[in-house]
Amino acid sequence: MMRLTPVIALMAALSPAYGAETELTFERDVRPIVKAHCTHCHGEEEKPGGGVDLRLRRFMDQVLDSGARVVVPGRPAESELVRIVRSGEMPKKGKPMPEAELAVIEKWIAQGAKTARPEPLTLAPGPLITEEDRAFWAFQPVKRPAVPEDGAGDRLGSPVDAFVRKALREKGLDYAPEADRRTLIRRVTLDLTGLLPEPQEVEAFVADPSPDAYEKLIDRLLDSQAYGERWARHWLDVAGYADSNGFTEADSVRPHAWRYRDYVIRSLNEDKPWDQFIQEQLAGDELAGATHGDYQQAVLDPQRTDQLIATAFLRMAPDGTGEAVDDPKLARNQTIADQLKIVSSSLLGLTVACAQCHDHRYDPISQTDYYRLRAVFDPAYHWEAWRNPAQRLYSLYTPEERARAAEIEKQAQAIEADARALSKKFLDEIFEVEILKLPEPERAPYRQARATAEKDRTPEQKALIKKYPSALATYSLNLYDQKKQDIVDAKMAEATKLRATKPAEGFLMALTEVKGQVPVSKRFNRGDHEQPKEVVTPGELTILTQPGQPELAIAPTPAGSTGRRLAYARWLTSGQHPLTARVLVNRFWLHHFGRGLVSTPGDFGHGGERPSHPELLDWLADEFVRGGWKLKPLHRTLLLSHAYRQSAANPVALREDPENQLYGRFALRRFDAETLRDAILGVTGSLARVAYGPPSGIGRDPQGRVVVGIDKGSITSFKVESGGQADFRRSIYVQARRSQPLTVLDTFDAPSMVPHCEKRNQTTVAPQSLLLMNDTFVLENARRLADRLVAEAPGDPAAQIRRAWDLLYSLPAAESDVARCQAYLAEQEKALAAYHQAQPPAKEAPKGAAKAAAPAPPKPQPDREALASLCQVLLSSNRFLYIE
Amino acid sequence: MNAPSRLCSRRHFLHANGFGLGSLALATLLQRDGLLANPAKPIEAGGARFDLTPKKAHFPGKAKAMISLFMMGGPSQMDLFDPKPMLTKYDGKNFPGEIKYDNLAQASSKVFGSPWKFHRHGQCGMELSELLPHLGRVADDITLIRSMTSGVSNHGQGLYAMNAGRITPGRPALGSWLTYGLGSETQDLPAYMVLAHPNGLPTFQQEHFTNGWLPALYQGTVVRPSEPRILNLDAPPALAGAPQQRQLGLLKALNEEHLSEHPGELDLQARIASYELAASMQTAAKEALDISSEPKSIRDLYGVDNPVTADYATRCIIARRLVERGVRYVQVLNSGQSWDQHSALIGSLPALCAATDQPTAALVTDLKQRGLLDSTVVHWGGEMGRLPVLQNDAGREKWGRDHNTYGFSMWVAGGGFRGGYVHGETDEWSHKAVIDEVKHYDWHATLLQAFGLDHTQLTYQRNGLAASLTDNQGAKVVEKLLA
Repeated sequence: MMRLTPVIALMAALSPAYGAETELTFERDVRPIVKAHCTHCHGEEEKPGGGVDLRLRRFMDQVLDSGARVVVPGRPAESELVRIVRSGEMPKKGKPMPEAELAVIEKWIAQGAKTARPEPLTLAPGPLITEEDRAFWAFQPVKRPAVPEDGAGDRLGSPVDAFVRKALREKGLDYAPEADRRTLIRRVTLDLTGLLPEPQEVEAFVADPSPDAYEKLIDRLLDSQAYGERWARHWLDVAGYADSNGFTEADSVRPHAWRYRDYVIRSLNEDKPWDQFIQEQLAGDELAGATHGDYQQAVLDPQRTDQLIATAFLRMAPDGTGEAVDDPKLARNQTIADQLKIVSSSLLGLTVACAQCHDHRYDPISQTDYYRLRAVFDPAYHWEAWRNPAQRLYSLYTPEERARAAEIEKQAQAIEADARALSKKFLDEIFEVEILKLPEPERAPYRQARATAEKDRTPEQKALIKKYPSALATYSLNLYDQKKQDIVDAKMAEATKLRATKPAEGFLMALTEVKGQVPVSKRFNRGDHEQPKEVVTPGELTILTQPGQPELAIAPTPAGSTGRRLAYARWLTSGQHPLTARVLVNRFWLHHFGRGLVSTPGDFGHGGERPSHPELLDWLADEFVRGGWKLKPLHRTLLLSHAYRQSAANPVALREDPENQLYGRFALRRFDAETLRDAILGVTGSLARVAYGPPSGIGRDPQGRVVVGIDKGSITSFKVESGGQADFRRSIYVQARRSQPLTVLDTFDAPSMVPHCEKRNQTTVAPQSLLLMNDTFVLENARRLADRLVAEAPGDPAAQIRRAWDLLYSLPAAESDVARCQAYLAEQEKALAAYHQAQPPAKEAPKGAAKAAAPAPPKPQPDREALASLCQVLLSSNRFLYIE
Repeated sequence: MNAPSRLCSRRHFLHANGFGLGSLALATLLQRDGLLANPAKPIEAGGARFDLTPKKAHFPGKAKAMISLFMMGGPSQMDLFDPKPMLTKYDGKNFPGEIKYDNLAQASSKVFGSPWKFHRHGQCGMELSELLPHLGRVADDITLIRSMTSGVSNHGQGLYAMNAGRITPGRPALGSWLTYGLGSETQDLPAYMVLAHPNGLPTFQQEHFTNGWLPALYQGTVVRPSEPRILNLDAPPALAGAPQQRQLGLLKALNEEHLSEHPGELDLQARIASYELAASMQTAAKEALDISSEPKSIRDLYGVDNPVTADYATRCIIARRLVERGVRYVQVLNSGQSWDQHSALIGSLPALCAATDQPTAALVTDLKQRGLLDSTVVHWGGEMGRLPVLQNDAGREKWGRDHNTYGFSMWVAGGGFRGGYVHGETDEWSHKAVIDEVKHYDWHATLLQAFGLDHTQLTYQRNGLAASLTDNQGAKVVEKLLA
């Protein structure tokens, strides 16, 4: 569907045809128009503009000062509403009302300006939620639809296919045939693990005659560690995961964020039910019975520790309050606003953020609703009693560890005291020698001057010391006697050494409440925290609750927190919520199929797109909840469908449905940024499968690229040193600094977390090609791949080429490919040999090169270099870069 | 690389000959290069292939290239372009009419007279603020529009409107439409280039240069704000030249074979094309982005050696160099929404102007002296303007202005736009456009007209509908803007 303006789209959705006979009603036809253009001023503000309130039809009988009536039923020409819009005087704000919409209003008036039903007698101030608002698909409860009857004799048994195929057939289309096994294993392995299948896995799958070979493959992949590492990435995008605070240019590091990343990976690998997963992330502190001042018991228990770590989800937004910012109060409120954006977009699929300043223009979300939702989180954030990022870290010490650390500290301090006393003793001894060098009459006054604290010395004493500076001997022991200094230093070193034996102290990031400290939540006029208005109580957005539904069951926790977030999390995951499950399954679908059933995964409201397959979406949402919110079974359901297993080639579907909204083919797509880096490291055999823990470091290399390694740069120059194996870890374990994205990831569209990423963009631009042609990351890995091929098939170029095809493409190389590549190698080797011959003989190391142990330059190996250049071509080829 | 010889490019050839003059050589060239860009052919399996070779316009148009100096945030028109004695007269008093506030805090109804004086410039006598002394010198070359409207209050929607034709996100940017419609005069540089600010991209980031649902080929390519402005332009020494060509030859063969298994997949096509472009860029981009060969007179004209103007001057020179080399559309961006003076206007506006005024005026002067202004549209403007009343009444140094989308200013130079001309008026408060209102889509229709493109005909088939930049909003070409 073309992207229409939301109002038109709404009209189209609610009222498919405006035939001459159609009886227009206020609620269905006119109100959406008036809501978009008029009621923002005329009814939703505290005082309606010009005293005209357009929220209800009956208000339009009003006679204005001019004597005109807003609406005269049957007479559009006499209706002030029509006149003032036609003349262009209204609407004052926003876009002019399109002619087509005004025509609807005129027709409605001409037909008598009718309503669908009697209007309410009383109306609370603010926007009105009507039955038509509630009728919008996303706000209705999930209803499990019947699975469509598929055509007779259909070989496809999956309910998913029944839904998808029905829609395809309605357009005269059908699926592509099933993809071949090599394509399939490559696709599903990349999809579930973000890594390529090993050649022997491909061969085993191709050769597996059992009917459930594909099911077994899926199970194996879902059981792998790599699965969690891959699927965590999707959730971390939505959560806005970063290892830095953002907001200011300093973009300081969040050294403990990784525990949350690990929590997400572990949760996915354990197939933790998503109701629990969400509850922990929103209210893990309340589940763990922890508060800001009383968390020590919780961190003794692994499960409760995990629950606390989970709440870092609510600490992911950029937070500049640990830095010097122009307006700290604004910075705090901005952090809360960003975090609410993350929560609402990830779990509600709504753009709630607009309602921070004013009622939402398109969705029935009032400003009051926004602050009610915010009030759920206010006790933990409490902007007036704010805690900055450092103040929201919690030590993981056990009492024993803490006691041991304290004991060690005590001992270390005692050693230091001894060392200082020893130093003083040595200096005093020196002094007794030195003072003898003074004339006798000055010795006693000097002794007294030395004994006097520096600030208390009289001018005479200062003068005397200045006269004989070397006699003072109160510091710089080394200048008098280096050996004695060494003795003192050795003693001091003992203290340092002892301190190093303290148990390592870990910290976790968490969101907690301060017991007994509950702020009063208010609506902020126009979003300005300096203009607090009426008090609001915590609650869900009105449109997401059914009329008469009880308020959130908020009960203070035994630990002393308010219980608001726990109550909210339980409501979201109750199975009754209209959006949570829909939004989640839509994202799961998106990651498997490349496009959501709702293609705007962060906006299920009027501004977003309508679901392409609404019944399928509801069926999946219901299936997910019924299945205990477990993702792995849902993966199986989706991956076993023919919709997923079909080939990417379907010329008819491509022609009729180029954006693949009907899923008549598998949507070919490029590796995302992390898959690209991880797959390249994987095929070279250098990928370090070290899971969990603090991230690998990053820095800028002399060319200005951000690369993995140990940052040794200064203000004036960039430098990065090898971090060893850590440089070869999966991308999810590389530090994600908001201001310094890894160049290889950034170039291939890894998102910037400001504050998070609802849906990734995918670009195809020349800098990507330049990176694949010239970047050291690619060149080094091409060389590693060449080394691997030579090691695995020494002296046999044809076998090396075949091996490359197996590794990169999961395909046997055609003989023509082998021949072509061998011809290429021969020519390239000749060219490279000629190149090396033309080089002047190696002289001494160039300036600036490391002096120590300068290795002899490697002997040119044109054959190996030619092979590396072939590997680079293959790593840059579309057959490698795309999932098909 | 010898720059001048490279400049004798197809673009110069076309430029020197003019479009549509019936020159036989030109006709042959165009024939070889292909066809009308549109109406876009329906995508046929295996058929449709998009490229960036030059395309013939619908009718002769003067404009061949565009440099967009986009000023995200909403530059304050009554302090820069739109003098209003009434504001001075009522300074500090209550605004007598009704103000259309946007949804922001700290609004007041106190009139805020511009703290800056206006002077007349050029033969046309165009009144401009003392904050823009350099612009005054090119007043006779610019079209100042004082009656722009978009009618949407938010930065995002305003950006989408001004940059992509409608207030909704996800649509192709102007530069994508122009490169889709006209291709590029160079195959050695990206057709659509984006020069980013050292402090980062403007708010809404990539949406400034997204291809939306047009093929990926028409995306903007971002140039980094400092050296190296494009990473990875240097081939490894041993592979530079023929060995890399050999690599790319093999790569193309492999990719074409792969494409033949997936006919009609536009992204695969775009990636094949991007390698060809990347190969040429290794030399072409380096040469184009290197301003060290620019003489001192040019450096001084733009202000390269003055720390205040250095960054913007450098980027404006680069923009000119790119257009000289055949790039169709160049966007020079600010960071964040730096022109969004809700507060501290009196301090920050002069600083913003000081950094940009001289380079901007120099760009117009320089293009003109090279004979390129006739074929190059220079556009200066943001997504909205500001209100005549005070915002943040917390001491003079904190005064600011809220958003105003009912009447704001921007200017255009070259490419067939009328020099020394002021179009439209706002009311006596510079609040609402009252004479010759130009809606964002009218501006777009007029701009396309300058390029010889009919805005109703420059369409892309999408889900059975012909989608366009102006998208059936009733856009009208504003003939008065064109010379």
